[in-house]
Amino acid sequence: MNASQRFAWFTLGVVGLTVILVLLLIPMLGRGAFGALGFLGLLGFTPLFFLQRGDEVVQDERDIQIRLSSLTIAYSVFWVLFVLGAMTAPAVYGWSGSVPVPLVLGAVWCGLIVVQGVMALAILIQYRRGGSDVA
Amino acid sequence: MSPEAEARTSLTNLIRKLRFEHGEMTQQALAERVGVTRQTIIALEAGKYAPSLLLAFRLARAFGVGIEGVFQYHDGEPEGRGEPGPHAGR
Repeated sequence: MNASQRFAWFTLGVVGLTVILVLLLIPMLGRGAFGALGFLGLLGFTPLFFLQRGDEVVQDERDIQIRLSSLTIAYSVFWVLFVLGAMTAPAVYGWSGSVPVPLVLGAVWCGLIVVQGVMALAILIQYRRGGSDVA
Repeated sequence: MSPEAEARTSLTNLIRKLRFEHGEMTQQALAERVGVTRQTIIALEAGKYAPSLLLAFRLARAFGVGIEGVFQYHDGEPEGRGEPGPHAGR
């Protein structure tokens, strides 16, 4: 497993745990459960996976290519969901209605979760399809 | 066609053969020599990754041959992975 794969598994773990934690806390804390989204801050440690150690090649052109294409996939998925959300808003709140502020903030967090989660999944899938762990 | 699929169908290489011709060089040794990870050498040998021009030159230089001595481009039907193509040796 290389640095990009470790990065992807870590990201997927943090995103997955955060979502599960928020869903578990909602019945107890209500809106306060969204405070658990702060666990996403752990993603700030991900650059550590790419720290240079001695002469070892931590990442190369293929790893960067896979990460960039995964990021493109992730933002494409996010954009589709964002457009779908925007298109359904009038149906939910009416043409002259207004979207609640907590929903806007929630959408930002959801966007972060979608982008990070899909990117991590896309990285893992591309490495699997590319036979990176063969032999 | 995805870059991966394109690499599989139109680009073959002799990296594995050349490694063995160069004192059974390991994938790790070759990777260190050209500045990539071992996984990338594995993907190249499996025909699942088309390298950049820069990496192709580095690989060719590592084996002391020209680029076409390592990589063969086919614009027709794909041949066996890692096997020499119709332009090999030219």
